[in-house]
Parts: sequence; C-alpha cells; structure tokens
Amino acid sequence: MDPRIAPPFPDAALPILQNTQLRKNVAHATDVIQEKRNRLVAEKQDWQELRTAAAAIRAHVLANLATYLEQFETNCTAAGGVVHWAKDAAEAREIILEILREEKASEVIKIKSMTSAEIQLNPALEAAGITAIETDLAELILQLGKDEPSHIVVPALHVNRQQVREIFARRMGLPGLPDDPEALTAAARTYLRKKFLSVPAAISGANFLIAENGSVAIVESEGNGRMCLTLPRTLIALAGIEKVLPRFGDLEVLLQVLARSATGERLNPYNSLWSGVTPGDGPQRFHVVLLDNGRSEILGLKVERQTLQCIRCAACLNTCPVYRQTGGHAYGSPYGGPIGAILTPQLEHMRHAQSLPYASSLCAACYEVCPVKINIPEVLIDLRAKVVDQEREETKRWFDPMFMGMKVANFAFGSAARFGLAQWFGRLGLRFFTDKDGWIRKLPNLGARWTLSRDLPGMPDQTFRQWWAEREAGRNKEAR
Amino acid sequence: MTRSSRQAILDRVRAATSSDADRYENIPRGYVRAGELDLQGCIALMTERLHEYGAEVVECAPADLPHIMVRQLQHSGRHHFVVPTGVPAEWLGSGVTWMVDESLGHDDIEQCGGVVTGASAGVADSGTIVLHHGPAEGRRVITLLPDFHLCILRASQIVETLPEYFARFTDPPRLATYISGPSATADIEMTRIKGVHGPRFLSVILVRDDA
Repeated sequence: MDPRIAPPFPDAALPILQNTQLRKNVAHATDVIQEKRNRLVAEKQDWQELRTAAAAIRAHVLANLATYLEQFETNCTAAGGVVHWAKDAAEAREIILEILREEKASEVIKIKSMTSAEIQLNPALEAAGITAIETDLAELILQLGKDEPSHIVVPALHVNRQQVREIFARRMGLPGLPDDPEALTAAARTYLRKKFLSVPAAISGANFLIAENGSVAIVESEGNGRMCLTLPRTLIALAGIEKVLPRFGDLEVLLQVLARSATGERLNPYNSLWSGVTPGDGPQRFHVVLLDNGRSEILGLKVERQTLQCIRCAACLNTCPVYRQTGGHAYGSPYGGPIGAILTPQLEHMRHAQSLPYASSLCAACYEVCPVKINIPEVLIDLRAKVVDQEREETKRWFDPMFMGMKVANFAFGSAARFGLAQWFGRLGLRFFTDKDGWIRKLPNLGARWTLSRDLPGMPDQTFRQWWAEREAGRNKEAR
Repeated sequence: MTRSSRQAILDRVRAATSSDADRYENIPRGYVRAGELDLQGCIALMTERLHEYGAEVVECAPADLPHIMVRQLQHSGRHHFVVPTGVPAEWLGSGVTWMVDESLGHDDIEQCGGVVTGASAGVADSGTIVLHHGPAEGRRVITLLPDFHLCILRASQIVETLPEYFARFTDPPRLATYISGPSATADIEMTRIKGVHGPRFLSVILVRDDA
C-alpha cells in the first residue's frame, strides 16, 4: 500500500468493482457499523454540541501545536519516557530499528497502527531480521493472509469468515478449524497468548497524547492493546505530531465522539492511559516517536489544515458512496475513503496519489458525519485545483485529449455563432451513435467514460435556441 | 540527528502557525456535563449497562461484602484469585484461595482463575468501570491475564456522565484503564464475539455505601 507506486484510483477501482464477493463484504460491514453509529448518535441529545467542542479542541491544538508538543515532551520525559522526533518516514523507521537493535529484539508485538502502515514499518522490520507480529485480530488476518488493510478501524472488513478460516487453517496448522467467528477468534487468542507472554518489545500507535501530563491514550476493543502495553519490557509508541490534546479533561469530549463514530459504542471496551514508566507496572522502557512526515506543511495551509483535526474514526469511509463500492484497496494507501483522499496526496507533498481528490462525488456525506467537522469536500476541491495547476505546468498536456477537448470547448463557447455551429456539428455526429429509440448507448474514446456506466439521451431535432427563435417569430406574426 | 529534527519540526510548526491566536478558554463547551439522575437512577442505569455487556451485577450492604464476595467467587466455579496488596484484609473471606500480588510473575497470574479488585469510579451512562491502578486496584497486569474479574464498586463512586468523572479527577492519574464491557471483537463479518484477550467474565458487586 505505497501511494508512490499505486495505480491511479480509476485503474485500481475497476477490477475491484467486478469482485462481487468483496463488494458484498464491504457493503455488509459498512451497513452494520453505520446502523449502530446512527442509533447511538440519535440517542445523544448533545451530539452537535459535542461535535462543536471536539472540532474546536482539535483546531485549538493545531493553532498552538508547537507549545503543546513541547509541553508533552517535557511531561513525558519527566515521567520516564524518551521522546524522539522524526522528520519523515525514513527517520521514524531508523529510530525504531535502532531502539529494537539495542534491545536485541528478534520479535516485536504490534498494536494496530495506521501510522505504522504509513511509514511502511513492517517491511523495514523484516529487512532488519525482526519479526513483527500483528496482534489486532483483523491485522493478524491480513498479515497471515498477506493482504493489505482496507479500512482504518476494521482493516479486514473485505474478508469473510470462510476466507479467514482458510487463512488460519493454513497458517496456524489447524486443518479442522470450523468457520464460525467464535472458533476463529479462539484460535487467534491461543495463537497470540504465547507471544504476549514471551516477546520483549511492543510497538503501538497513539490515539491521543496529553500535553498536560505527558500521557498516551490507546482505545481498543479486544485487549490485545492492553497486553502489548503491559507485558513487554520495552514499548515504542509512534504518533503523528497532530495527535496532541491540551488536557486530560479534553478526553471527556473526544472519547465520546470517537467511540460513537468509529464502532457505534458509548465507549470502547478498553481505553488505556499511561504516563512514561511506572515502577513495577508495565514496560520499564518507554519511547515515543513523534512523526512529522508532511504534517507541518499541511499545517501552514489555510483550507488544508483541518485535515489534521482527524481522529481516525472512519465514519466518513462507512458513509461514502464511493468507498462503499470500492472498499479501501483502490485508494492505494493505508488511509482510504474520503479522509484518505485528502490526507494521502498531502502526505506525499502532492507528488503522488493525485487521482484521489477526484475519487468523490462531493456529496458531503463525509462532512455531515465527521465528529470533528472536517469539511472534506472543501479540501477535495482545493486539492483538485492544485492538481489542475500542476497539469497546467506540464508540456505533455498538448497531447491529452481531455485538455484539447476543453480548449476546443472554450473556443466554441466563446461566441453565439460558434456555439450554434458546434451544436449543429454535434447533432450531426451523434446521429451515428443514436439508437432507433433515441438513446445513445455506446460512444467512442472519451465519450465512453460516460456510456460505460449509463446511457445518454440522443440530441433532439431542434435545439432550445432554434425553438425559442421560432416561438418568437410566431408571436410576432400573431401580434400583427 | 534527532536533535536537529526536533528543532526543524518545531521551527516549521511555529512558522505555519505564527499568525494564530486561539485561547483554550474560548473552546465552546455546550455539551451535557452534569447528569440529571439521582444516585438511585445512576445505580439503575449502571446496572442496566453492565447487564447489556453481559456482566453480572449484585448489590450489597457494606457489612455483607465479605460473605457476598466469597459467594460470588465460589459461584464462578474458580478457586484461585489474585488480589492487589491494597485490598482490606477483612474482605478476604475464607473458602477460596487468595494470592496477594506481591510482585507475582506473569505466569503465576495467568494460572489464576480470577482477580478481585476495587475501582476508582463508575460511569453510568456508558457502564464504564474506571481503574486508576492504585493500591486497591492493583497493577494493570492482574486485571488483564485472568479470565474472570470481580470488581467491587461503591455506590458513591458512580457518576452519571463521562464529564462528571473528569470533573472529579482534575488531577490526571498516572495510569488509567476504562473498561466498558468485556473484551470483544467484531472483526469477522461484524459479528460481536466476547473475550478475545482480556477477561471474558466481568462480575460487579455494588456496595451500597450511600444508605
């Protein structure tokens, strides 16, 4: 899932749209989450006030980010943690590898972390001879099945129980394993228990960093997070620099909106908070890696900054009419769906993934459900403008039929006479493609992009302008 | 290398936000902070939520706690129970085997049938049990490895809303675990399965210290 080598969205989406099994799995999962989410949001009388507060807290953090990062660093260090700063993915990987080398760790257990996928950590660990063991059930399914995540919260939602059974039976050596979710979950529990008790180092992401006391928060459901945060000797938390909150008390807003938006629960089954190192309880060596990787650049842009308010709840994915058809793989990034469509190209400094801002109908369903009120359509449009600006700089645009078509259209629409002439030519040309019943079902070249998925009504015999002129002429006759 | 990255990142962040002026106090907080229920209502809601999670709930008077505790533990069909060092000695009735957590190893804790702890707070709205891992709640590991958790929650510790909990603890705890239902996953076809890694069975004794 490297956006630098991923194919453009339309190319990646087309084969997926033909995979009916995957589409069924994605539709089912997103329906279930949305139904739960909507029910729990409806019962919350103060939902809009919570959203307003959550958005304001996140915006406030971003406006004062340097102050809060320094506060977090000071307090985390005082509590016994070690804070590292990474400009980019490569530096973050290097810092983490260095810590693990010092620990002489040959294995490391991991809590699900999208940031870890963003920096492509697992391939780097493998290259360094360190076995990464994903402990979230969904991530374990993907890791054993050599698959990629397709959702921020439920990364394996595109896989069904028979597929999970097949993967577990093969990779865990359990040929008689049945395919009911209970048995599959039990198999994962047994498989991972030994690892939890023996592996000396763990890597986590972070849902929130609390500036006030330097603590880190992880929300989860399964308890694999608590295992990783409690049992190993060494713990490394990787977090984007935007993850800070000013105070412990701000969690009263963010935990409520996150749980309802992400999984349709009043609170996640487990929320863990810890500050640095506590003697006798949990890992005695604790590192935090603060990752920039393009974030400080986004911070300086007026419209784009709100992208960093995101708390990764994935409500925008579940509601998006595009994501619900394609699932996450088409986005070619660990961050799919509407938030991925704005975040991914920006993290790539607009040098890759430029097709993603177009992977949207701009219906704004994402904005409506966003618990921190990110105006995703606004950012999408701004990014589209940037992509067009980039294309304007390219000389090869003169060979692009779309560009040439627009140039011609621009010329034709410039005067009434030229427009009338173009209409006449258009009607003449389209006549060859119009069926007897007056519908156009197949157009060549660029026109095929329309007729691929829908029909086009044929051109009428008379244009509106011709009709109007005739009508006016008739009136004048009557008046006389 | 990290040293210079730190400075570079902070410089870039400062440059990007140089024209911002935004005060923490101005964050609008129009959401519900204080609940409306009286204590009886809070206890009823807490009990309802815990039942929704499949947890067992019994109420008892403070004086009855030791024998109710032993009854619940025997009822669970388990025999060995970990307790943190800060649990009052008079709680530890006879009839079950207690293992006081004086730096027990992970394997010893794993071998135990269950664990008994106190709590720091209960949030009725979400049915959340809050552990700050003080002397009566113990190290994080003891409420993680055993499959059965008996939690003693006093009525006076229950608040209705999450903001009320945060209002009670303005001084942030060093460690905290919020438990809202037992360990669960919905990763396979969104089917909710109880008990992936944490305790699969949660039992709560509500001590009516309000009466």
